[in-house]
Amino acid sequence: MPEAGETLLAIDGVGKRFGDLAALDGVSLDITAGEIHGLLGENGAGKSTLCNIVFGVLRADAGGMRLGGTPYRPTGPAGALAAGVAMVHQHFSLVGDLSVVDNLLLGQARGFLRRAEFAAEVVRLSETFGLALRPQAIVDDLSVGERQRVEIVKCLMRRPRLLVLDEPTAVLLPAEIEGLLQVCERVAASGCGIVLVTHKLAEIRRTAHRVTVLRHGRVVARSDAPADEIDRLVRAMIQRDLVGAAPTLRAAVGSASAAPAAATAVGDVVLRVEGLGLRDASGVRRLDNIGFSVHRGEIVGIAGVEGNGQSELVAVLAGATAATEGGFRVDDQPFANGSPKALTAAGVGVVPEDRHREGCVPAMSLALNLALSTLQRFRRWGLVDRVALAGEARDRMRAFDIRAAGPEVPFASLSGGNQQKAVLARELSLPGLRLLVAAQPTRGLDVGAVEAIYAQIRAAAERGVAVLLASSELDELLAVADRLLVMYRGRVMGECAATAESRPRIGAWMAGHAA
Amino acid sequence: MDTSALALWGLFLGSSLRLAMPMLFAALGELVSERAGVLNLSLEGMMLMGAFAGAMGSLWTGQPLLGLAIAVVAVLPIAALQAWLSVRLHANQIVSGIGINILVLGATTFAYRELVGHRSRVQIPGLATWSPPGLENVPVLGAALHQSWLLYLAFAVALAVALLLRRTAVGLAIHAAGAEPAALDKSGGSVPRVRIGAVLFAGMMSALGGAFLSLGDIHTFTEGMTNGAGYLALVAVIFGNWKTGRTVFACVFFGAATALQFQLPALGIDVPTALLIMLPYVMALLAVAGLVGRQSPPAALTAPYLQPGR
Amino acid sequence: MTVLAVARPGMRPWRSELWVPVGAVVVALLGGLALVAAAGVALPAAVAAFADGAWGSAYAIGASLNRAVALGFVGLGFIVAHRANLTNVGGEGQIAAGGIVSTALCLYGGAASLPGPLAWIVPLTAAAIAGGVWGSIAGVLKVRIGTNEVISTLLLSFIGVWALYGCVQSTRVLRQPMTDSATLPESLEVPLATQVPALVSGLDMPLHAGAVVLLALAALVAVVLARSLFGLRLRAVGLNPPAARRAGMPIGATVVIAMFIAGAFAGLAGGFMLQGEQLALKARFPSGYGIDGLVVGLLARGTVKGVLASALLFGFLRSGGIAMELSAGVPSAIVLVIQGLVILLLAGSAWWLHRSRRA
Repeated sequence: MPEAGETLLAIDGVGKRFGDLAALDGVSLDITAGEIHGLLGENGAGKSTLCNIVFGVLRADAGGMRLGGTPYRPTGPAGALAAGVAMVHQHFSLVGDLSVVDNLLLGQARGFLRRAEFAAEVVRLSETFGLALRPQAIVDDLSVGERQRVEIVKCLMRRPRLLVLDEPTAVLLPAEIEGLLQVCERVAASGCGIVLVTHKLAEIRRTAHRVTVLRHGRVVARSDAPADEIDRLVRAMIQRDLVGAAPTLRAAVGSASAAPAAATAVGDVVLRVEGLGLRDASGVRRLDNIGFSVHRGEIVGIAGVEGNGQSELVAVLAGATAATEGGFRVDDQPFANGSPKALTAAGVGVVPEDRHREGCVPAMSLALNLALSTLQRFRRWGLVDRVALAGEARDRMRAFDIRAAGPEVPFASLSGGNQQKAVLARELSLPGLRLLVAAQPTRGLDVGAVEAIYAQIRAAAERGVAVLLASSELDELLAVADRLLVMYRGRVMGECAATAESRPRIGAWMAGHAA
Repeated sequence: MDTSALALWGLFLGSSLRLAMPMLFAALGELVSERAGVLNLSLEGMMLMGAFAGAMGSLWTGQPLLGLAIAVVAVLPIAALQAWLSVRLHANQIVSGIGINILVLGATTFAYRELVGHRSRVQIPGLATWSPPGLENVPVLGAALHQSWLLYLAFAVALAVALLLRRTAVGLAIHAAGAEPAALDKSGGSVPRVRIGAVLFAGMMSALGGAFLSLGDIHTFTEGMTNGAGYLALVAVIFGNWKTGRTVFACVFFGAATALQFQLPALGIDVPTALLIMLPYVMALLAVAGLVGRQSPPAALTAPYLQPGR
Repeated sequence: MTVLAVARPGMRPWRSELWVPVGAVVVALLGGLALVAAAGVALPAAVAAFADGAWGSAYAIGASLNRAVALGFVGLGFIVAHRANLTNVGGEGQIAAGGIVSTALCLYGGAASLPGPLAWIVPLTAAAIAGGVWGSIAGVLKVRIGTNEVISTLLLSFIGVWALYGCVQSTRVLRQPMTDSATLPESLEVPLATQVPALVSGLDMPLHAGAVVLLALAALVAVVLARSLFGLRLRAVGLNPPAARRAGMPIGATVVIAMFIAGAFAGLAGGFMLQGEQLALKARFPSGYGIDGLVVGLLARGTVKGVLASALLFGFLRSGGIAMELSAGVPSAIVLVIQGLVILLLAGSAWWLHRSRRA
């Protein structure tokens, strides 16, 4: 292990282009042994690209790196691992139907597998760093937090000199986040260098020794004492002053709690969920006796760490999954096994969590995507009226400020923000819209797009649409919603007003404690 | 049971094993390939090449063993082509499989006509048979187990494959390449290398199976003599739910179904041969329809692995 | 997965690139010629025999076009299903199903006594329905259980082909009455009334009405795929099933209907092959048309014009190959070699074509 303070990795003028887009431009920074180096930036700033270059998944177009003094140009993960660089990815790469031990052996073992010996070593290592693991468990059966621990141990087994963690806390409970940060401290103390990629300032304040801020692919700020200089770093991240900025803007940056939204007049119940329960295909209970209601003109937020049933709840409300117990009513019309078609007819619009998976067909044109759920309106003698379709598309583009070359361009050519605006536009334009269900609507979007999305949602609520918003960005919810429900392990733990004072209760509920 | 009935059973068992053999080799090879994520519709073509090259090799050299070796070597370019198309060029695996089958059928037929003559059936030095020591004179089993030694090689390979898949690092890599290639890639393994190796293995095994047809069974070559055996091997893997033991069972079962085609008429039982020939496919269809337990194909089967950015 | 290789987001479709398939065909043909030369046959004689058999006489042209028509039907069905990302590998079995039903109706179902054109239209329709049902089995399996349709259509294909074999083996089913032990395993010839009429009478040109039907259906398919709601649904289901489901599209029904259509076209091909060309059901009835039709569908890259062009190519190739064998002594297997080369060249070229066009 190198001595603490010695430079481990020196990144010098690295650049990377994807076609016309410069993802990285002249990025230079260095990591020293024993430090936790925070890599800060908004979504899309280039953090993941830089990490992928460090790990050998991508190759830099310009500049170079030096690891421990020698030039470092890995051609793939194998090269990076051999050089002592390991990475815990945002999206896990584990083989689901194998056990933890087998996953850890993958890529490491030679010849015959000595599982029992290995399992013992795994347990020893994980205890050293405080990571609880069950070696014989099958990965598919593990929770998200456990799977991340497997990923981390997988890296630590290689005794890396440098460990990169890409947005590791996105899927963890508040208590688990604390545990992870402690693990990082222990690993750093053993002499390893850690790169912690995040957009959450709380983590930076807690553990980072030094910070580099990226914006639009360039280094815009550095700090040796990040806990004291948070405001400066935030300004650098978004190039705007936070004071006086809209609440959602501040919320998107994850900074201090936002001002409460103005109270709006609330009307009749539009959505009433009663005793909703769901068991998935393997019999695991995903939703447990959910009951709540949403009124006209109200924005109700569903808070909670991802993986606690929010996705399943949205899926049931969207008609993608059938509830196993109970059901819900839209304007007193009961739905238990709602088909998407029937729900659309009843006035339910859904902005799904993963727009690429469910929200759109990327290869088809923007116009087609804007009318995807109501194409039959354009039917003339069995054929689709392209002219009318394009006309309506242009209207939507104007109304929702969707930037694209024209209605006939492929949907995939739009930027992430514009794609999400388009999906939202489609749902908000449903004839007879009564309820909008939006899941993680601002994930992966830059601040400008986040602003636009929330502006549209608030406008819809003012028009009388009932809104249900599921998000793991608690600060955004506090800024936008009227009421909050907190979910934990498929149950609604509690309900409260969406104000800063509710934070302690919300935190407790998110961790599963009845407050 | 009287001796003639016993003799018939022995005959039936022996025929089943003999007919299962070509499928067994090809199926074992395909099992490894599919577990790694590559579907080889070209099994048929690779077997045919093995049959052809083995026959020609034995004819020229007079040594069936050399013929066998030549068969394995001759199939390598084809297996390499399939591997390269599927793994490096990310071609549609169905298209390349069908293309190779058609090409090999045409090429071997053409070559045979030109080299040996129109529709002739030349006798070729064939492989010797062998019995497990001590069992030669056992009443029923003795005759049944007196087979070309390739059969015993096949069973040995089956054991080796099962062991490989469960207990070795290579087997783990193969499993990952077919189930979650990204995991193998990010662990430092090489998905292309594993898949190419698996396809080459499938090719060599298919060559052995095909060579058995011309060297071990009929001792001659006829055009298109594999006659669907390659597809049956594919079907055996499907019916075997991508597990070694069940695949071996499926091959023997299919061999028995084929043997019945000859046995039943000899016994005076009039079952239309078409039904017996259809039986393996029907069984496999029932299997994929979920009527014979849950099917669990490798998740990334037929999906080319795109390494991000490289 | 697209037709020949994997499409990545951001790649432009390469429909306008005609020179790749044309180039592949040219290279394959050259390869075939090289083999012919290697066999010691004089090239001019071989090519002359080929040309003669392919288009050398009215009869040859008619026969080639008939073959092209059958391939065209299978190819049309293939591209419809492929729009929804479904690969139909079961053409042989679906042709067999069509052939069986058509023969049964023509010989024993009383179709011969139907008035006028109904005598041959009804069995054709029944053949199409039979093929459609055979194809839709795979569709249902996919929707209910998620079975990969490549595997299920392949298995069904074998079952269909062997079912046909069984039918013509037994006099209790479709085999002609056995006068002696040398009677071939085939059906009787279908009555004249049920035979598809030739388009041009007088000339010794066997081109049958199937050509007209093909062109009409081709136009219909083109319009449906490009402009109709059903065509858009096929595309959405093929590109992104969860999004299509969320948009309220009936995915299950779309998949089953798409597979039905693919099978129905193949069944119709079988009907025309029986009632228009072969006239009696023989043991090896599908004789590879299902596989060739699949290749036609793949080469067409999703366009109707592509289907027609590829069908013509393969139809003439077949006829020419047979003639080459008969007249010049070149084994017709060479046609298989050329076909195989075309397929492999196209499969391989799709990759670097996509790569070079990535922005």
